[in-house]
Amino acid sequence: MFLALREIKHEKVRYGLIVAMIVMISYLMFVLMGMMIGLANENKAAITTWHTQTVFLNKNANDNLSQSLITKDQLGGQRLNEHESLVGQAPVVITKAAGGVDKQSAQFIGLKPDQAIAKKNIPLVSGRHARHADELVVDQSLRAKGYRLGDQVRLNSTADRYRIVGFAKDAQLNVAPVIYGRLATWKTLRGVNSQVVASGIISNRLEGGERFTNLARYTSQEFIQKLPGYAAQNNTFAFMIGFLMVISLIIIAVFLYILTMQKMPNYAVLRAQGIPARYLIATTIHQAVILMAAGICGGLLLTLLTTWLMPTTVALVLDWPLIALMVVVLIILGVLGALLPVRMILKIDPVRALNG
Amino acid sequence: MAVIELTNISKTFGEGIGRVQVLDNINFQADRGELSLILGPSGSGKSTFLTIAGGLQTPTSGTVTVEGKRLGKLTSKERDQLRLNKIGFVLQSYNLLPYLNVADQFALVRKVKKTGNLSTVEFQRLLTELGIADLRNHFPDEMSGGQNQRVAIARALYPDPEIVLADEPTAALDSNRVKVVGSLLKQMARNHDKAIVVVTHDLRLREFADHIYQLMDGKMVQEK
Repeated sequence: MFLALREIKHEKVRYGLIVAMIVMISYLMFVLMGMMIGLANENKAAITTWHTQTVFLNKNANDNLSQSLITKDQLGGQRLNEHESLVGQAPVVITKAAGGVDKQSAQFIGLKPDQAIAKKNIPLVSGRHARHADELVVDQSLRAKGYRLGDQVRLNSTADRYRIVGFAKDAQLNVAPVIYGRLATWKTLRGVNSQVVASGIISNRLEGGERFTNLARYTSQEFIQKLPGYAAQNNTFAFMIGFLMVISLIIIAVFLYILTMQKMPNYAVLRAQGIPARYLIATTIHQAVILMAAGICGGLLLTLLTTWLMPTTVALVLDWPLIALMVVVLIILGVLGALLPVRMILKIDPVRALNG
Repeated sequence: MAVIELTNISKTFGEGIGRVQVLDNINFQADRGELSLILGPSGSGKSTFLTIAGGLQTPTSGTVTVEGKRLGKLTSKERDQLRLNKIGFVLQSYNLLPYLNVADQFALVRKVKKTGNLSTVEFQRLLTELGIADLRNHFPDEMSGGQNQRVAIARALYPDPEIVLADEPTAALDSNRVKVVGSLLKQMARNHDKAIVVVTHDLRLREFADHIYQLMDGKMVQEK
């Protein structure tokens, strides 16, 4: 550590530039990861708050809740237990009955008030749960769009008016705010006949194959992975982050390689003087760790600053356990990058010291 | 007993028609308290001699003994230890680390050799003797060539080695500086009881030597 710190202190500009590169790369990685998690949350936040474990859909629905319709017959005469809820999903456009606020696209979720989700799985940030058919609970993001408790709103082009009685936390699905209402309202919005009971059934426990055999059954993870665009979006971000990790590995390897090459005559002298190769190797690895740690700290600071400055509409969520994991991975990559110059150090011929 | 002894040392490089014999059956020994000077023109094998004496290279034949230990029987790690503990090097271009100030050049030695170095009092006396006591916070590029060379000598002596091997320590120094460095090396041998071996083509150092050897075409002849 002694030599590593002394050299960095003496060559501030040189090492400062390397750290600056690592700052930019780690910053980009943290922001991309924040966006990946933010967008993933906006896709599935509502599903998480429902404590979803099992999802039942129509077998022909192409794994998609909004395209699924299940009928009384498909329930096969089975009654829903206390863990299961009928859910009707429909994309809607919400407008204030009085006008004055832009239309907003949203996902309407129709529920039965006596079933699990409506009873206990809609966390509120303000207001209260719906008690009547014309009452709605909406995602809190709609507050930023000008909607308030007590507002009269319309859904799509229907003449019916509804009243907002509560704002819900984490009520987002398919990157759109969720509007919770009655299943009967959903039926009206979708225009389905009386045989149709819902889009699907959500259970907050793992259900076995004996339940609803006429329907397709998914675990929560399977269902989330099949949300439209979810997997493609996550994979794109994951690839970008992966490539940036490889780039950071190459950068640290190339810089340390060049720096070590420049220091070879000095290292040859130290080897001639009996300084063990392992001391010089430790110095190089310490330098890699210090550079990575300094760069990552800078990247984290910039990321925090960005989250502070970003408008709330930008989906940027910092997941600290994941960031900690990424920090560890980056430092390991830095050490791996230092292995290339380590090989050079092992091959130093101390005779070079006497040959100038 | 001589502190360092080279017996029947030969060194050849290459094979077949490219084969070059750099050292040919050389015998040499040095004792504590003496300055031995090995003179020879460029290409005479002086540096090869020094690398073999310092355990940096192995001879094609012959034996090198340092304090009774045969270098050829030591592992690479043991040779590193021997160089760290018993042999000090003073090199042509000073070879101080450019990013360490004078104090840290010695601190580095303490990091890898925690015991057996000069005591604080001895070290301070050495720095004063060399006239570099007030240069502790200077970096190599902030000092003159002569100051750098004196720091390099102190650096070589700090681990309290038995032998100091110096390679052209007066190269690029003017006559006055040569006298200063020559008398310093002699003083180090005398006052600190070291065996100092200097390889050089600089005849101006002759007056400081206890023993003078001529190295020519790989053969060594003692003249004094």
